[in-house]
Amino acid sequence: MSTAKISVRGLKKSFGSNEVLKGMDVDIAEGEVVCVIGPSGSGKSTFLRCLNKLEDITGGTVTVNGIDLTEPKVDLNAVRQNIGMVFQHFNLFPHMSVLQNIMLAPVELKKLDKAAARAKGMELLKRVGLSEKADARPASLSGGQKQRVAIARALAMNPGIMLFDEATSALDPEMVGEVLQVIRDLAAEGMTMVVVTHEMGFAREVADRVIFMDAGVICEEGSPEAIFSNAAQPRLQEFLAKVL
Amino acid sequence: MLRLPPLRRRSGGTFAALAAFFTVVFMLLGIGGASALSVPAPAAAGTAVQHTGVEGKKFAIATDTTFAPFEFRDGSGNLVGIDMDLLNAIAKSQGFEVDIKSLGFDAALQALQSNQVAGVIAGMSITDERKKIFDFSDPYFDSGVQMAVAKNDDAIKTYADLKGKSVTAKRGSEGETFAKSIAGKYGFTVKALADSATMYDDVKAGNSVAVFDDYPVLAYGVSQNNGLKIVTEKEQGSSYGFAVNKGQNQDLLKAFDTGLAELKANGEYDLILDTYLAKTEVTEQGSFFQLVADSFPALMKGLWLTMVATVLSLAIALVLGVLFGFFKVSESKIMRGIATTYVSIFRGTPLLVQAFFFYFGLPQMTGQPINVLTAGVITLSLNAGAYMTEIVRGGIQSVDPGQLEASRSLGLSYVTSMRRVVVPQAVKIMTPSFINQFVITLKDTSLLAVIGFAELTYQGQQIYASNFRTGETLLIVAALYFIVISILTQLSNVLDRKFNK
Ligand SMILES: Nc1ncnc2c1ncn2[C@@H]1O[C@H](COP(=O)(O)OP(=O)(O)OP(=O)(O)O)[C@@H](O)[C@H]1O
Ligand SMILES: [Mg+2]
Repeated sequence: MSTAKISVRGLKKSFGSNEVLKGMDVDIAEGEVVCVIGPSGSGKSTFLRCLNKLEDITGGTVTVNGIDLTEPKVDLNAVRQNIGMVFQHFNLFPHMSVLQNIMLAPVELKKLDKAAARAKGMELLKRVGLSEKADARPASLSGGQKQRVAIARALAMNPGIMLFDEATSALDPEMVGEVLQVIRDLAAEGMTMVVVTHEMGFAREVADRVIFMDAGVICEEGSPEAIFSNAAQPRLQEFLAKVL
Repeated sequence: MLRLPPLRRRSGGTFAALAAFFTVVFMLLGIGGASALSVPAPAAAGTAVQHTGVEGKKFAIATDTTFAPFEFRDGSGNLVGIDMDLLNAIAKSQGFEVDIKSLGFDAALQALQSNQVAGVIAGMSITDERKKIFDFSDPYFDSGVQMAVAKNDDAIKTYADLKGKSVTAKRGSEGETFAKSIAGKYGFTVKALADSATMYDDVKAGNSVAVFDDYPVLAYGVSQNNGLKIVTEKEQGSSYGFAVNKGQNQDLLKAFDTGLAELKANGEYDLILDTYLAKTEVTEQGSFFQLVADSFPALMKGLWLTMVATVLSLAIALVLGVLFGFFKVSESKIMRGIATTYVSIFRGTPLLVQAFFFYFGLPQMTGQPINVLTAGVITLSLNAGAYMTEIVRGGIQSVDPGQLEASRSLGLSYVTSMRRVVVPQAVKIMTPSFINQFVITLKDTSLLAVIGFAELTYQGQQIYASNFRTGETLLIVAALYFIVISILTQLSNVLDRKFNK
């Protein structure tokens, strides 16, 4: 068994007869920030969703903190408490206030009593710069504010790993910066993160390692420098030519 | 102990006078504390209560809803009429009790066949056809068919005037048999309807030009100002009998015959008939507001039962809907299959057929009688439950799947995620459909009138069956439904706005 925080071996995923992931091998170390880039439909989201088993895994193994998620008897709820996930479309709970969104998991999972969860929620809101929005409904927030709340919510269970799936793609350009800043801060604090992104500049800046996916396989991986400045693969060159 | 012969209402003949005399004697003896003289009264009195095996028992007896003057409701909502008075008098003299179920003629026969009741008394003619499945008492009334037309109709005076026209008669009655037997000869067509009030309305509305009905029924209707007049003589007399299922309840049948013979002998029989048939004066109809006031107690009783059936049915339907709704969105093929089957059965068959099935069909198949409220609530809740299932499924599925994913990604279980995240949002979406279903179920309770459930519509039918003021009565009934539904809808909307902001 490797000492990696996340260890992926021969990961395959099919939707019906459509094989979307065709065998991926990745190790992610504690504190490492991995950015995943690649063309639309290449399987980036699917890969990310396999890491907390939001998708059933067709073949191979995914091991998180030493626990193999493909084992039938694994307690997924316990595993997921240690993996925060941030979605492209925020997926905040519209019938709850901002603070209630954040408090839901700690209170329901009996991790904290109400008062402690409230304190924790306020602390997280302060961290993402939204203390004054604690009692607001998600509908009244801007996109950037929503995504910062979603990040705070994902952090409420003190996860050791954070997964981001195009966290800024649904945002107006002027709001991208505030969300990236929060992610940047998390990286600086040493959080283990897998970040699927279209922001190449950001990937280059925060990533310890960049993975380029194409058609369900890892096409190339390496340091930001190696990927962005010394691309070897023609497919990567083609992709970068389009997005840069 | 002394057993006293039953008290008679009035003495008619010498026999009754004798009975009254003995009654007084035994009462005096009883008051005199002569309990030592425990001579069995029946033997001494001669108007003996024989040991027929029915004493102290209670029998459910089915009858028609609308066959005045044999059975109908008086102003205060009590079931009265020749059948009722005879049956009560016989029950009293033979020492048994009766529980009258006023179901309608067809329904009464079905109830008897499915053993929901022990007997039927419903102005039913004794026919060879019916003798195959029922055992009849001695005849208690000799009837005959007459033809009546609208009061202002001077064109139709004889059967010959019916050429090319349409007439009406009560389904399965002597009137229908007779009308059909001469329909070919005189060239008219016969339309069968379910009860007298409907037939009379059909004639008054001009849909049929004449009605063939039993003479006592017609005579009573005319005396009540039903807007018709009788134009022919009595035809083809038939006899009415009390019926039990073939080979069953023979004790009851014997007791009926014995009691009937007694009533005829002591004159009470004639007295009962005169009460209903000798009435010749035409009663004046009261004002509309008088009708509202008179019918109010009975209609309120009906409205109460309507609400009881609605609330019970919806509560059960909600449970069924939530259960099967979750089955429908579950990952298990088997659960989805169960829910889909349930929904398609109850959405794919008429509510009326379901009601008949649960009230008449199922008891016949299982031998287990079922009361009318239970059958009604089972029908409505299973039916509404099917629609609720679809409402719940639709509500859950209309919540963005990203909501469940976000919740599961936090480590919350499926059940917790549903309870805290998906269902609260689904409820908000479902509320208008719930309110809608509530209104539909409330209105659907009116269909239970056909199995004799005494809800609002049924009470209305009872009222116009004896006063023949169909239009006005239905207006009052409709207004009551409208008012109640409007109030409840408003209330639900207010609650919806308050809790589902
Ligand atoms: N639930 C699903 N059912 C069937 N096919 C799916 C499902 N989810 C994804 N796919 C298919 O899998 C392939 C990869 O999708 P995925 O969302 O992982 O791509 P992506 O790299 O994240 O693309 P994008 O940059 O557009 O988000 C696509 O062809 C998509 O149509
Ligand atoms: Mg994607």
